[in-house]
Amino acid sequence: MNISFDDSVIKIDVDKEIYSLTVLHKCFYWYTGKYSLDICALDSTYLITISDVTTAEEKDALIQKIRKDLIDFKTREIISIETKNIRDLLIAKAFAHEDTFEEDPPPGISDPLGFDPTSIK
Amino acid sequence: MDTKEVKNTRKFKDYEFFRSPDSQYFLLPFRFHRINAQKEVLVNEVGDFLIVPAGTASRIVNREISEKEEIYHDLHANFFISTEAVPPLIDVLATRYRTKKSFLDEFTALHIFVVTLRCNHSCHYCQVSRVSENKKDFDISLENLMAGIHHMFRSPAKSITMEFQGGEPLLAFDEVKFAVETATELNKVYKKQITFVICTNSTIFTDEILDFCKQYDILISTSLDGPEFLHNANRPKTGIPSYELVIAGINKARSVLGHEKVSALMTTTSMSLDFPTEIIDAYIENGFSNIFLRPISPYGFALKNPKKNKYETDRYLDFYRKGLNYILELNNKGHFFVEDYTTILLRKILTPFPVNYVDLQSPAGLINSVIVYNYDGFVYATDESRMIAENLDFTFRLGHVKDDYKNIFYGEKAKFLSQYWSNECLAGCADCGFQNYCGADPVFHYSAQGDFEGHRPTSDFCKKNMEIISNLFELIDQNGSEFLPIFYSWINNKPRF
Repeated sequence: MNISFDDSVIKIDVDKEIYSLTVLHKCFYWYTGKYSLDICALDSTYLITISDVTTAEEKDALIQKIRKDLIDFKTREIISIETKNIRDLLIAKAFAHEDTFEEDPPPGISDPLGFDPTSIK
Repeated sequence: MDTKEVKNTRKFKDYEFFRSPDSQYFLLPFRFHRINAQKEVLVNEVGDFLIVPAGTASRIVNREISEKEEIYHDLHANFFISTEAVPPLIDVLATRYRTKKSFLDEFTALHIFVVTLRCNHSCHYCQVSRVSENKKDFDISLENLMAGIHHMFRSPAKSITMEFQGGEPLLAFDEVKFAVETATELNKVYKKQITFVICTNSTIFTDEILDFCKQYDILISTSLDGPEFLHNANRPKTGIPSYELVIAGINKARSVLGHEKVSALMTTTSMSLDFPTEIIDAYIENGFSNIFLRPISPYGFALKNPKKNKYETDRYLDFYRKGLNYILELNNKGHFFVEDYTTILLRKILTPFPVNYVDLQSPAGLINSVIVYNYDGFVYATDESRMIAENLDFTFRLGHVKDDYKNIFYGEKAKFLSQYWSNECLAGCADCGFQNYCGADPVFHYSAQGDFEGHRPTSDFCKKNMEIISNLFELIDQNGSEFLPIFYSWINNKPRF
């Protein structure tokens, strides 16, 4: 991860192999209340630009927080992917007896063998 | 070769025999949240939690937790990890998940009838455009009232609450009387458990009104904003000041109905923020054993007076924390006194049961738990929705009370709102460690941010709940032996001593 700071703008280069776009979106969503953000896909990295960082102290604290948050959101992504099936199964089991799906009977009379039963007299 | 190792006998095997050789385990769904630099809280799919050192979630995911560690067994016993891909007790977990969402089985249980907009107070934070006492055009018609009652009985809920609001509902006492008598008569057929509640300022109780309340076992929910100077400043009225009348009304109601039948709610205005302990003391002096430190609702007419009614969430949180600390001190000294909002959250955190509090549910309480029949015959998704409508914004109007039940409760508007009522699907909430304890509130976010989904990083709803829940976990972590007995006494509503 390469980080640069110039003229109240932090630029972070993140390896695509390490962090997915989903992780970046979920992580940096929480920064959109205070900062102006841009995420741009390059060849092998994503470039994140964070504007309106006013002081060097703010920058240091922000970078430290971003490092932690990226790891946390990556961890959340792993949990989410690994547990998707079991979560689906859990919820399906929880509400299984609530399945009140009712299929309407097919309209009219039909026959799978292909003749028209209404023509029989 | 050691022959002992290969000899297969039917003797009981020791623990090591069954242990998987390399501490492999499977993850079960859980979320986490850092509560401070040292600790994070892990919360599983049914709301059970573990407070652990920061970085533990990452260690779990990276399979760095060894069976020799105590935490391995905590994680296993509490459904955070499993030694099998599908845990053998998944049906237990599924039942617990279903229990947490069992408020959905009942569907709409709270039916609010706004019987009039007339009021004898002129509170600056009132969200509705109250009208003077003599304008009877603002009372609900008996025809609309009747139609609302029929909708109420269509609800699948076995226990329903019929709540009367205003304005001041007792200015339309004839309508309240008609509604209670009609519902009681019809209930001979429907056989539901009905709780009647009148939300009143308690200033116009007559013997006739209180005798009626006693006859039908009606609960009184009143407004008390704190000590006299604060209450009167928040809730001005012409003639005799409000506080004097309210206290007299509360005492009169208690003497007829019983002490426990009268409850009170306060609203935190800008002025209230400086007086958390004085407000709590006023509740104690007036014989209450609980208080709801309730922030102002950013709806309707309340927004027309921003100096008195609008404040930063940080200021409210400071007020709440001071109030909570004071209440905890009182409890530590042996005085049983409960903060209601904290108790709602604690019930979600510390028990396997759901809480029927419409602002903290997912799916949200609107329609699923509450419906409002307004004085003019229109039906709204929540109490706050009709407050928004007072500014001529009818976004949350579901239809007219004379419309078909299905069109109101399952109609296009209800379907539209359902896109935004589950925090499991909202940006920022979907991965939040506190998702189980919080809720979705599309009405709040529409009102505050102009967006049904809401923008969590700038949401006062999110900030308030994150801070309060995080603070509770810190209290449990730092001094659980002191605070947990108090918290359980609140949940069970039983004094410890």
